[in-house]
Amino acid sequence: MEEKLHIDWLSVILYILIVLFGAINIYSANSGVDEVLKLDFSKEYGKQILFIGISAIIVFLILLTDYKFFNFSAYGIYIVVIGLLLVLLATGSFNKGAQAWFKIGSFKLQPSEFAKYATALALAKFLGTFDVKFEGKRNILISFGIILFPMLLTLLQNDTGSALVFGCFVLVLFREGLSGWWLILGVYLLTIFVITILLPSIQIIIALLIICGLFTYFNRARKQLVFLALTVFLASSFYVLSLDFVFAKILKPHQQQRILVTLNQDVDEYYAKKSKGFSIFKFEKSKEKDKSESKRDYSYNVRQSKISIGAGRWVGNGFNNGTQTKAKLVPEQHTDFIFCTVGEEYGFVGSTLFIAIYLLLIGRIYYLAERQKNVFSRVFGYSTASILFFHFFVNIGMAIGILPVIGIPLPFMSYGGSSLISFSMLLFTFLKLDANRINEISRLN
Amino acid sequence: MEKSNRLYVFIGILVLIGIIFISRLFYLQIIDTSNYYKAQAYGSNEITIYPARGTIVDRYGKLMVYNDAVYDLMVVPQKAKDFDKVALCNELMLDTVEFNKRLKKATKYNPREASVIYKNLPFHLYTRLQEIIYQFPAFYIETKIDRRYNINGAAHLLGYMGEVTEKQLTLDKYYKPGDIKGITGLEKSYEIYLRGKKGKKVVLVDKFSKQQGSFAGGKFDSLPSAGQNVISAIDLDLQVFGEQLLANKIGSIVAIEPSTGEVLSIVNSPNYDPNLLVGQRRNKNFASLLLDPSKPLFNRALKAPYPPGSTFKTVQALIGMQEGVLTPDTKYPCHGGYHMGSITVGCHAHGSPLDLKNSITKSCNAYYCYVYRSILDNPRYNSVQDAYVKWTQYLNSFGIGVNTGIDLPEESRGIVKKPSWFEYEFGKNWRSSNVVSMSIGQGQIGLTPLQMANIAAIIANRGYYYTPHVVRSIGDQHFVPPSFKQRHYTMVNSMYFDTIIAGMANVCSPGGTASRTGIPGISICAKTGTAQNPHGKDHSIFIAFAPRDNPKIAICVIVENGGFGADYAAPIANLMIERYLAKDRTVPTQKPDMLDRMMKANLTGKTSTVKDSVIIAKPN
Repeated sequence: MEEKLHIDWLSVILYILIVLFGAINIYSANSGVDEVLKLDFSKEYGKQILFIGISAIIVFLILLTDYKFFNFSAYGIYIVVIGLLLVLLATGSFNKGAQAWFKIGSFKLQPSEFAKYATALALAKFLGTFDVKFEGKRNILISFGIILFPMLLTLLQNDTGSALVFGCFVLVLFREGLSGWWLILGVYLLTIFVITILLPSIQIIIALLIICGLFTYFNRARKQLVFLALTVFLASSFYVLSLDFVFAKILKPHQQQRILVTLNQDVDEYYAKKSKGFSIFKFEKSKEKDKSESKRDYSYNVRQSKISIGAGRWVGNGFNNGTQTKAKLVPEQHTDFIFCTVGEEYGFVGSTLFIAIYLLLIGRIYYLAERQKNVFSRVFGYSTASILFFHFFVNIGMAIGILPVIGIPLPFMSYGGSSLISFSMLLFTFLKLDANRINEISRLN
Repeated sequence: MEKSNRLYVFIGILVLIGIIFISRLFYLQIIDTSNYYKAQAYGSNEITIYPARGTIVDRYGKLMVYNDAVYDLMVVPQKAKDFDKVALCNELMLDTVEFNKRLKKATKYNPREASVIYKNLPFHLYTRLQEIIYQFPAFYIETKIDRRYNINGAAHLLGYMGEVTEKQLTLDKYYKPGDIKGITGLEKSYEIYLRGKKGKKVVLVDKFSKQQGSFAGGKFDSLPSAGQNVISAIDLDLQVFGEQLLANKIGSIVAIEPSTGEVLSIVNSPNYDPNLLVGQRRNKNFASLLLDPSKPLFNRALKAPYPPGSTFKTVQALIGMQEGVLTPDTKYPCHGGYHMGSITVGCHAHGSPLDLKNSITKSCNAYYCYVYRSILDNPRYNSVQDAYVKWTQYLNSFGIGVNTGIDLPEESRGIVKKPSWFEYEFGKNWRSSNVVSMSIGQGQIGLTPLQMANIAAIIANRGYYYTPHVVRSIGDQHFVPPSFKQRHYTMVNSMYFDTIIAGMANVCSPGGTASRTGIPGISICAKTGTAQNPHGKDHSIFIAFAPRDNPKIAICVIVENGGFGADYAAPIANLMIERYLAKDRTVPTQKPDMLDRMMKANLTGKTSTVKDSVIIAKPN
């Protein structure tokens, strides 16, 4: 059967642009100052070229594969990846505090990167099953289960960043019928979270009480609303107190400080305030070693990142000329902070263009996902776009200092084989599915 | 809401996030410029590249002062682990105990910063280490530039270098703390030419301040430009000869080329080796020189005012003639001196009366008592005070009592008293008899050897002088400061000089005061001086120029406690003149006995000379 490949070329071109741009930036961040431009496979930028090659082969194989394979083997892949995560938990080697790697020769395989792919496949498979909709207790529980299980395993590996990424499936579920209230609730809870850290919890509870009291007063005729308001107040107060407790007692000092740095709080001052009855719960003042280390690491990262981006001004210093980049002043610049290179070397104009291109790709995938005729492809498409979006949002958000430092890569840009290959697989699996949409229609006809 | 319409919620979120990110970027990159400036501060480190300091050569192009590279082996103690200590010690020819001691000292100073572990590597060690240093990552060789002097004297002339003071830092933005500049001598007065222009290299540094390469592609870098070479007027050979002659004596020689004002040599004794004040022994040596009771750091030639003694008679005679109180034919009697009331100025035995010319040749004291008194008691002036003021104006025109303006720092004006000083001393109506000792250059008058040499130059020129200057020209363009070419005329008409010169021409001939010191074949015009010294034996003084026509050299020699002018100063001056005028310096002197006597003479009363004792403290 001769089938024409109806692949979405716009997405492919955007993908190629971003991947190549990523390699250029990795070279910039990674090579020495006066180094001659050459391909050196012992260096990160050389390896990235290698990873691009491997990705290209895998992409090619995906495009050759029958589209039905993905639907057919979705659960199988999911189970294999879950198995890998379990093995890793049992035997995992330590790496930067997170047990997240398999060492294969000199390369490291990070199963959590592939877990997103597998989860997207499994979720799509489940929701795409005939007669299954995102309705009813059982189906909703199974959907959440598919997402939460790998998320929990990743969290147990201490890879908080990667675990948070699974949160993006909520967006997929929203498309599949999850009430918009949940999203609003999420934003509400996040807002309360931020306020709780910034202000004494007693004040927040008093403020909530006043708002609730006024609301109740004006709506005293409508018992239902009064009841709702009281429930919201009690739940919120409980949430505030438990947040306070979790932040003070459960989060590790470095986690506390990452959040504080993002909220522009001086860590020492904050602890001083907190120890003077700012919080209901006593803060375990972080131990000296922990404090100095984490303070340097997180506030330093963000400060250097902002300086580096700020140094770019309108059009940047140009390729390979970023002073902060070449001086290697931003830690992890070729991986999680690759956007600093874009900011410094290509300036506001380049960064804006980059963000536009990136968002165009994500938007394009959402658009393609929506036009799918079968649920499997649609859910997988929404998952792909949402995963990319979450990474993009958190990664650049932290680089420009409006989100906490969460170490997750910028897809297609950051250095790293596992991440590039898994994101390429994700994108091209969906593009393959999308390409076959035409066939589906023709077959239906 | 139809579920498929939820796509627009997603698109909306994307647009919203896009706007937030771009706004944030606009703030970070465009509005908040502090990041941009922080970037320059954090990522860069400015390194000053010091230019090579200009060299100083003598009038024939012989190198006197130059730069030399010295190599120090440096160590960063923190990194000095796991290296083959025995191998390195073998290369350095150092025993491990000593090596460990130095390493420990460096560690104590600062384990993270580089310290010197082996100063001034000998050249063969330096070349050997260059090959193997890569095996010892904690070690590296640092090249430093140090000043070197091709002569172990002339220290006052050349000067020495030292660290800039805080005050100088605020005055001249060129300097940074720790910079070295000229403190005395030519090193100081030609500092702005010698120092050159600093270059800078802005290097990219990482968070550990480790250099990563050039910053912004070398956009802010600049190359240093080497300091200009200074061509001095000094005759190095003559200078060294003068220093040999003055060894073991205290005194000074200044020789000037009258036709240009170029200083041929300035000799001070005691002297010291300028090489003592370079390198790491500098401070130690400086302290010992400073504490030396013979004061080797004192620049007698420019700073010590001596009573000029009889050499001053030349000036007195010239002023007298210009004032019209003296003619070449004026004769005064002398019977063992000048007697007036209680005042007696003694004189040696000679024929009487003498005319002006012979008064110079024979150096008659009485003659000049009459001359000076006739100047001061000149009826043209209302009072002695007025006449005295006029007289000091004459002196000033001879460069006496004022700075000559020589291109060396720390010149003394000498001593010329104001009338008020005499009023205070002798009462309001003081008279010429009060100051009669000045007529023969004693009493309230003091001239530096430089000023006396300048007088010799003035007489040689018949009435004018150029500001004495040690430097002929500066740099490749041979820049000559315009002040060097400016003639300064004295207030005495040139026609009066011939008589004086005629008198001076006979001084070194039979019948003259320095008759035995003359050099056959050279017409030396001279005047001896014997300055009375309240602290001891008289100072031997001699001024001269030669040849009589078209003079090439004017000279002043002072030998403290040397007795009569003819005893030491005259022989030394005449030997210098002979040496300078000789086309071939290897031709032996016509007065070998005199040379031998001068060389051997030891007036300091010490067996080991000051110079020898200084040489013991050679740098490394």
